Amino acid sequence: MADSARSTNPRPDLGLSPAALYRSIVADQANFERDAMQFAPQLYSAAMRMTRNPADAEDLVQETFLKAYRAYHTFEEGTNLKAWLYRILTNTYINKYRKDSRRPSEVDLGAVEDLYLYRNIGSEESAEAARSTEERVLDGLVESDIKEAVEDLPENFRLPVLLADLAGFSYKEIADILDIPIGTVMSRLHRGRKAMEKSLWDYAVKRGLVPEGAERP
Amino acid sequence: MSGHECDDALTNLYQYLDREIEETTSSVIRAHLEDCSGCLKSFDFEARLQIVVRERLAEDVPAEFLQRLREALAREAASS
Repeated sequence: MADSARSTNPRPDLGLSPAALYRSIVADQANFERDAMQFAPQLYSAAMRMTRNPADAEDLVQETFLKAYRAYHTFEEGTNLKAWLYRILTNTYINKYRKDSRRPSEVDLGAVEDLYLYRNIGSEESAEAARSTEERVLDGLVESDIKEAVEDLPENFRLPVLLADLAGFSYKEIADILDIPIGTVMSRLHRGRKAMEKSLWDYAVKRGLVPEGAERP
Repeated sequence: MSGHECDDALTNLYQYLDREIEETTSSVIRAHLEDCSGCLKSFDFEARLQIVVRERLAEDVPAEFLQRLREALAREAASS
């Protein structure tokens, strides 16, 4: 019996007590700084786009890290630490800055046509001219334009956009972080991006990146 | 851009760029992009826009803040 159990069990028997085995699965608090600090800069970027100012972003990230530190013994080692930290960040943000409800405010976006930015640029005469305008727009939209276009999105669209386009999470990870179905992630992300394109077009016009007269009436 | 193949490609644009699409659908779109320069150009623009957005959304984190964060964690560790 013992022999057959050993032969089918792929885990090497390290002679560990159950308590030692448990410690090897859950994360050790002493390693928290080593494991988690690498994510601090990107969590700060996300926090800046959530709270829109450095003081609140610092508070939010610090609170996130302290909560994560205290709960680190519940984190299962080898699983997705980055997603776990973003989940704490997002929940802390929602709880702290939206005291009236646990979930983000549900605001709708008006319908925006597909490829809004691309099609407006392409409404010029020649393909060549359109191509050079594309380059000018992509080069000329400055950081503050992109940041404001994201920050202006309603929260329920902004969070999926940040998690996908800034943090690089998959749809499934975003669904887990935000506790919403994957279909909802997709529709909010896609509509949020379209709305962003509309803002970016407005910034491109304002900055004179598109030729005179290209603005829509 | 016209035709239902173009519409199908456009419907799946974000999922395609995000690599969140089944391989069968993905290969249909890839084949369409080889034939349709209009769609290819729009997909290419959206892909470049995604890169621009990602690059310009990032924030430089103040070094002093990272230091304060480490200190806060050390205080927490000492008090627990």
